[in-house]
Amino acid sequence: MKRLMIPFTACVVIALTACTPDQNAPMEGQAYVPVYYSEQNIQQISTDLPKVTTDPGKIYAYGNYIFQNDKNSGIHIIDVSDKKHPRKTAFINIPFSNELAVKGHYLYADNYKDMVVFDISDPERPVMIKRMENVFKPVNQDYPPYINVLFECPDASKGVVVGWKLEMVKSPKCRR
Amino acid sequence: MKRNFTLIILSCLLMQCTKSSTSSSTLSTTASASTDGKGGSTARFAIAGNYLYSVDETSLKAFDISDPIHPVLKNTVSVGFSIETIFPFNDKLFIGSSTAVYIYSIQDPAKPAALGTALSPTVMRRCDPVVAKDTVAFATLRANAPCGGTRSILAVYDIKEITNPIEKGTLTLQEPYGLGYDDDVLYVCDKMVGLLVIDIRRPYNPVVIKTITDATFSDVIPYNHMLICWTDAGIKLYDISDNRNPVFLSNI
Repeated sequence: MKRLMIPFTACVVIALTACTPDQNAPMEGQAYVPVYYSEQNIQQISTDLPKVTTDPGKIYAYGNYIFQNDKNSGIHIIDVSDKKHPRKTAFINIPFSNELAVKGHYLYADNYKDMVVFDISDPERPVMIKRMENVFKPVNQDYPPYINVLFECPDASKGVVVGWKLEMVKSPKCRR
Repeated sequence: MKRNFTLIILSCLLMQCTKSSTSSSTLSTTASASTDGKGGSTARFAIAGNYLYSVDETSLKAFDISDPIHPVLKNTVSVGFSIETIFPFNDKLFIGSSTAVYIYSIQDPAKPAALGTALSPTVMRRCDPVVAKDTVAFATLRANAPCGGTRSILAVYDIKEITNPIEKGTLTLQEPYGLGYDDDVLYVCDKMVGLLVIDIRRPYNPVVIKTITDATFSDVIPYNHMLICWTDAGIKLYDISDNRNPVFLSNI
């Protein structure tokens, strides 16, 4: 029994030390990079023709329609009355928008710190009808919402931090 | 007297007429079988009745949208830390954070009230989306941090006693994200494995029936016999008239 104790203790020690964080940050590695947006353009909203989805985000189903967020850029409106042949009807440009919900003829979305409401009675031509300013908390400007991660230190002169993206980065300086 | 009586009857009839005409429903052109909308399990917005609820990292906000074009912020409630998702179920809200599932009552929709907190004894961190069904709640707990020290699971909670949720079942997963159910079938997105179709007739003993590996799945919304899947490439639609056997319909 005693003989087994030594290898067992060694195993425990190895297992424990294997998990201590690496103090030397790698030269190039995955790190969170701030996504910037210039504050002056952040409230610019417009309706566009249907377009290709670039960075698919959250979805909301309502009746014969599906609404899909395109991360940080807006919302696609999709008619699925014919489930085998869905048809996009419009795209709404909403800077830094990631959340959405629909009730009746109305679509609710976030636009950075604001809530915006659209009348979608005509799914080809959604119209913004209301903006509620400063109801949402902006993303933390100093660090990403994770712990034990490397990240690129934010630079306030580049604009407002609206989110964080995981990317390959050369010697990220900040750690949390 | 007779005259009065006739008048009363007449006015009653008139009132009824006006009443029915004003209450003529404003049915949306977009609505079909189900008039309620539905978001995914990873959403931070949720609509319940005449209220829109939103969660940020630490708090829950209640917006009155009875006048849909003039939302009114009624309340901001401090909930916890690292909050990620909100899921409405009956008169309750299930809020998923990186450590726990918080349950709130919205019996008074303007004032969400804390009811209970569900913790998983097997997974101390990395709690994610949650959905509830009758007296059972399902949550995916993801542990993909390098030294998380715990495993990723689907946790099943008994919520009969809402103030004291108890974990009664688990299923080991790889890298789970969103989930949703249709009757007795649960769909779970696992970024490593695919879309898992899980039998929950015995909810505390979930059994995987099949795995769909067509894409990298993030979240699902079962809606009107249709499974709407959020994938890395866009949306995939499946017909779930036979909910144990999703049949591919289209890509968006």
